[in-house]
Amino acid sequence: MNSQATILDELKERFGAAVLAEQPARDAVPTLWVESGEVRSVLKYLKSETTAPYRMLYDLTAIDERLRSHRDGQPEADFSVIYHLLSLDRNADIRVKTPLKGEYPSLWTITDLWSSADWYEREVWDMFGIVFEGRTGLRRILLPPGWEGHPLRKEHPARATEMEPFSLPPERQESAQEALRFRPEEWGLTGRGEDTDLMFLNLGPQHPGAHGVFRVLLQLDGEEIVGAVPEIGFHHRGAEKMAERQTWHTFIPYTDRIDYLGGVMNNLPYVLAVEKLAGIEVPDRVKVIRVMMVEFFRIASHLVWYGTFAQDLGMLSPVFFTFNDRERIFDIVKAVMGGRMHPMWFRIGGVAQDLPQGWEKMVREFLPYMVHRLKEYDRTIMRNRIFKARTMGIGSYSLPEAIEWGVTGPGLRACGLAWDLRKKRPYSGYDQFDFEIPTAKSGDCYGRSVVRVEEMRQSLRIIEQCVNNMPPGSYKALHPLTTPPLKEHALRDIETLITHFLGVSWGPVIPPGEVCVAIEATKGWNSYYLVSDGSIHSYRTRIRTPSFAHVQMIPLICRGFMVADLLAILGSIDYVMADVDR
Amino acid sequence: MRWRFSRVDKPSRRPEAVSVDETVGSNLLLSRLEDMVAWGRKNSIWPFNFGLSCCYVEMAGSITSRYDIARFGAEVIRGTPRESDLMVIAGTPFIKCAPIILRLYEQMMEPRWVISMGSCANSGGMYDIYSVVQGVDKILPVDVYVPGCPPSPGAFMEGLIMLQNAIAVQRRPLSWVAGRQSIARPPLPSMKDRKREERSRMTVLPNPDIVYPGKGKSDE
Ligand code: SF4
Repeated sequence: MNSQATILDELKERFGAAVLAEQPARDAVPTLWVESGEVRSVLKYLKSETTAPYRMLYDLTAIDERLRSHRDGQPEADFSVIYHLLSLDRNADIRVKTPLKGEYPSLWTITDLWSSADWYEREVWDMFGIVFEGRTGLRRILLPPGWEGHPLRKEHPARATEMEPFSLPPERQESAQEALRFRPEEWGLTGRGEDTDLMFLNLGPQHPGAHGVFRVLLQLDGEEIVGAVPEIGFHHRGAEKMAERQTWHTFIPYTDRIDYLGGVMNNLPYVLAVEKLAGIEVPDRVKVIRVMMVEFFRIASHLVWYGTFAQDLGMLSPVFFTFNDRERIFDIVKAVMGGRMHPMWFRIGGVAQDLPQGWEKMVREFLPYMVHRLKEYDRTIMRNRIFKARTMGIGSYSLPEAIEWGVTGPGLRACGLAWDLRKKRPYSGYDQFDFEIPTAKSGDCYGRSVVRVEEMRQSLRIIEQCVNNMPPGSYKALHPLTTPPLKEHALRDIETLITHFLGVSWGPVIPPGEVCVAIEATKGWNSYYLVSDGSIHSYRTRIRTPSFAHVQMIPLICRGFMVADLLAILGSIDYVMADVDR
Repeated sequence: MRWRFSRVDKPSRRPEAVSVDETVGSNLLLSRLEDMVAWGRKNSIWPFNFGLSCCYVEMAGSITSRYDIARFGAEVIRGTPRESDLMVIAGTPFIKCAPIILRLYEQMMEPRWVISMGSCANSGGMYDIYSVVQGVDKILPVDVYVPGCPPSPGAFMEGLIMLQNAIAVQRRPLSWVAGRQSIARPPLPSMKDRKREERSRMTVLPNPDIVYPGKGKSDE
């Protein structure tokens, strides 16, 4: 708290009148409104001049403020742009907001301060039509070129069925294919190297090694990569717009599909954020059940990565083994939650149902089995000579680079920094568990693998502690905004019956406010930044996903390597396109 | 039917008279050849390794050991559309992706089939949103629709078997000069109608609060 107060005072003192207001947020992150002309200097100060600086640009996004009613104390604005910075040294965040006026406002870019701002600014332009001046290449990133409108503006329709029905006549197909054509000049690439002619190679959007619909345009000197341009947006499902249309409760299923290998891991930051807005405290049993299930999904997700990564490197059998183990996890997942990949089982204020009778036995049988399997994989995969040769020293980056580009999760810990949100900012009761944070030194493909493999072991440890210490109690909080409320109560008293009825027919009304909750998801930090305007829908939901930042970094880490190494690098990043494009 | 051999360079005498029986016999053989080709097609489907989103992971699951799609002769997964004859639209068809999906489909050689896997591909599913095509059948013909979000590997394989059975009775021209030139496709039934009676007979549902030993298996 203290360091937060000081940083605010420090900024106010230094920038005086440019600091327009201070905004209390439910998550206690210091939030500051700064005049748009001064934002750059404030950010620059925070990044490099203050003590224990905020080196990571964690997120950059915007809000269409035009229809918002609860803006107490905030400066007048039609749009606001939000810079969320993070200091690993302080273990603290800061949010800098700037108010913008007009239909299509503009402000100065910060790509010269953070190279990683590039994609975020393109996204803000794509979604809101806010122009960033003083930079090049401000083009669509998630939507196809030629799209009309900016979807996250309030006037843009949300539903496909509100728009003209989609069809693909030959002319449209022709022009779309033409737009997909790769023109190196447009991306600032030339065919001339220092003393050689360079080649261009288009990898994707359909390529088995690309792990989804994703394209990388490569500039090659022979087999060596000189430049790369990743192109994303083939998987944009408009989840953020969807949140403005669904109720707080009915948005839960959409979160499962953000990182689709993470299952309920995605529910967690969302329900935690809504609970924080609503002021719900969940019982211990809920916390432990949640921790257990998300750790199962961490293992399941890492197993998919393990098998497919080995396959990318030419080992054909591991994927059969790891998928089989994943099936065993799904046996448990299905017995407990009823679903496989997308159980959508967490609820605001609890979980959907209590653990079934006999769950301990299933979990207890699984743990030693998995420990044994991991040992075997160490032998067959991690210690395999070819695997090592293909991953060691490949695709490495340093810790400062990782922080500069917003890398989180195993990718960050592979650079030697034991930074894990479960330890640093424990949520859902992680502080009660005994586990280690694995790290590696090298920051290369092998290092990232070592971290993930060890993480699976730690997850098994956490799950074991869950089985041994599952607290008794209710699987739902008694808070009136728990959705849906406990059925026994609804059957007995009229107040709960009414809330139950309203919650089901209309949706819970969450008090106005802003909150951002981040968790250590399978691939890095996943956070939901929710803005409630006191209604049954969210006013704005920002989903910050780790894969977006990681994929943006590809050009930097593949330079100088061979094309075959690129596939190792892509595999080692462990991204999911739905997690990139949302 | 009598058969005779002849040398290429010395054509033998033509048979003087062709009996009605013989004509029938040769036609019968022709229809059997069709059967054989259909049987071959049915049991050696080469799926295209193409995934759009979450559903693809379940499709990949069907290839691995617990489900093992090889049992149905469909394990030869190809990385290029030019070598495959089945495209599984496993995932959400995005507007940005639609031209790519169509191009890949066009690159597949005939005969080719399409399975639409999952609600997104079937109808847009839960994504009635600006960036999603409301069903992949808006841009290309679909043979089998598999419901689910995502369909389990088992459900996907049921769809595959249905497609196989359909392929077994489909009749395609064997040559572009002789015989019928059109493709005969018997209509595919709606499984909802077909299974309704069986389903409505079900009165006792398993209790979700109990783990049934052996029933926790991912796919019944
Ligand atoms: S149907 Fe469901 S599981 Fe399949 S792609 Fe769509 S959202 Fe994902």
